[in-house]
Amino acid sequence: MTAILLAKLKHLLRNPWAFLGFTGICIVFALIMGLTGFESRSSVPIVIADEEVTGSSILTTLNDEESISFKEVEEDALIQSVKEGKAEVGAILNKDTYELIVGVESTTVSSVDNMIRQAYTEYGQRQKIIEHIGDLKQTENALQKEIDEASKNPVFSVTTSNFTTDQTMMYDPIYQYVFGFGLFFVIYTVAYNVLPMLIEKQEGVWDRLILSPVKKWKMYAGNMIYSFCIGYLQVLIIFSFFYFVFGVDFNGKFPETLLLLIPYVFTIVALSILLTAIVKNSQQFNAFITILAVCMAMVGGAYWPIEIVESNFLIAISKINPLTYGMEILHGVVNYGYSLEELFYPVSILLLMGTVMIGVGIHLMERRHI
Amino acid sequence: MLELVNISKKFKQTYAVKNMNMFMERGEIVGLLGPNGAGKSTAISIMSSLVEPTAGEVYFDNRSILKNPTSFRKVAGIVPQEIALYEDLTAEENLRFFGRIYQIKGKQLQKRIEDVLQIIGLADRKKEVVKTYSGGMKRRLNIGVALLHEPELLIMDEPTVGIDAQSRKYILETVKQLNKEMNVTILYTSHYMEEVEYLCNRIYIMDKGNLIAAGTKEEINRILSGEKSIVIKASHLTNPFIYELKTYPLVNSVDVMDKQITVMVSKEVNLFKDLIAMADEANIELISVNIKTPTLEDVFLHLTGRALRD
Repeated sequence: MTAILLAKLKHLLRNPWAFLGFTGICIVFALIMGLTGFESRSSVPIVIADEEVTGSSILTTLNDEESISFKEVEEDALIQSVKEGKAEVGAILNKDTYELIVGVESTTVSSVDNMIRQAYTEYGQRQKIIEHIGDLKQTENALQKEIDEASKNPVFSVTTSNFTTDQTMMYDPIYQYVFGFGLFFVIYTVAYNVLPMLIEKQEGVWDRLILSPVKKWKMYAGNMIYSFCIGYLQVLIIFSFFYFVFGVDFNGKFPETLLLLIPYVFTIVALSILLTAIVKNSQQFNAFITILAVCMAMVGGAYWPIEIVESNFLIAISKINPLTYGMEILHGVVNYGYSLEELFYPVSILLLMGTVMIGVGIHLMERRHI
Repeated sequence: MLELVNISKKFKQTYAVKNMNMFMERGEIVGLLGPNGAGKSTAISIMSSLVEPTAGEVYFDNRSILKNPTSFRKVAGIVPQEIALYEDLTAEENLRFFGRIYQIKGKQLQKRIEDVLQIIGLADRKKEVVKTYSGGMKRRLNIGVALLHEPELLIMDEPTVGIDAQSRKYILETVKQLNKEMNVTILYTSHYMEEVEYLCNRIYIMDKGNLIAAGTKEEINRILSGEKSIVIKASHLTNPFIYELKTYPLVNSVDVMDKQITVMVSKEVNLFKDLIAMADEANIELISVNIKTPTLEDVFLHLTGRALRD
């Protein structure tokens, strides 16, 4: 078994490009998609039609919004932007009123409307208080300061929280794409490291090994352990890269995340063994694994959260997809803070799938003597 | 040393090997001949313990290899027809890998690698990766791998397929040397009759899963000792001409290949004049007529109705 592992390792050192390529592509994709998603604030053009708005709290309140970025433009540019569909909505801000220019009725429009109305309400309240005090400029300034101070240090604070239920989805694009692409690309890496078993069988190397005193289980174990290690090394590199280089902290669950990848990688090794047993040659294997990996990623929630999938058929298919459980484990431990008991179910399913697939795969290979 | 007793192998409804009996004595080189599909590879797979027969038994030193394959595998070396090597590794790394598989370790392994590299003549190219080798060099390394554990029995399945004449000669000499100097018993299959004639003490001929002849070269040749062969080459052949030859009373057998006909007749028969007359009558232009004593190739053709390379 050691001889098999050493030979495979030598092969990897001599041809590391596929491994490095898959790892690199995965990091780049997760970076592009994750960080883009992370910073994707909708942009809404605004026109300031009254000078008084510029120095008022309206603009400050709007600029503090996290989900929408308000950008000041000329009126012509705003209309053009909405007309061309570059912006769903634009706003013209006057001293006491505002006007929305709507291109498409959407949830963004009502959000923008709410935000601007809120900003005007707060501004109006302030103005009312100031008017109530009187016209003295000095008093007005002092009051402004006092209101600001009071806003920063309220007499009492209200904490808001929401219930999370089974139906509640937590979405963080960086985790979605790091997990998704990590689990997706490891399918290729593992599969292409199991494929040599098929090639060795076709080229007679496998028979040569059988005709040596080495035990057959050691031959299978050597190949599977190597494929597992390579697959695991890849996700280890990818996750470590985001953890150490980009400071993605996995919500403090980095070691647990790495540990919980083990059942998933094991199942992918098993799946590759099964596929190797089913196909007749490497061409078929290449075609199959390409289609299978993409389907698994789509149905398993690697490209987008599985929670947004509505088709019952696809949801049913996802239940026999190892990637679904891999994503569930990773999201569970990082985003939802699942306990060990809660993770037991997807981990068990993966281990069961892996064991069955290895058993069936090896049985088929031996029966067909491929 | 090696004995096959009533070996049969059935795939679905077809027998690849049927009731095969064969033996090999220590120190012999035995040839196994047969056209494509004769069952040679299946027979070799069975006697190398790779495939279990449907019926029969294989003994090595009077012990069943089917019941105890591991001990047999320790003393048997197999040279498969395919180049069963890791192309990304060097010759030395390949030998080291297979040496470890055969549980040879440390200094002993290093010594065996060097010895084998000397035998197969690749000592000066040992650091080069196999994929840069010529076909002949790969074939030599393919043999080398089977020699690492100093086997008592070497089973070689067409080890010279697809290589140049020089490499072929080198391999034949190596096989001869292994047998002579190291007393390795060798089973050799080939498509080249001259290789078998040059190397082997005894020959088995298979066709359609059956052993159809067995014996020393002389014994096999004696099958056609009372006959001679007439090899006719013609510009074209017609069915009436072939039919006339086949039904001619003095002709024992006729084998047709492309534009060549081999006619077997008794030694005392003179067919030359009649042959010319028959060709004239059929408007066939004869290019050459060659009369010779039958060779092993003729015997093979006579027994199987096919040339060895068919």
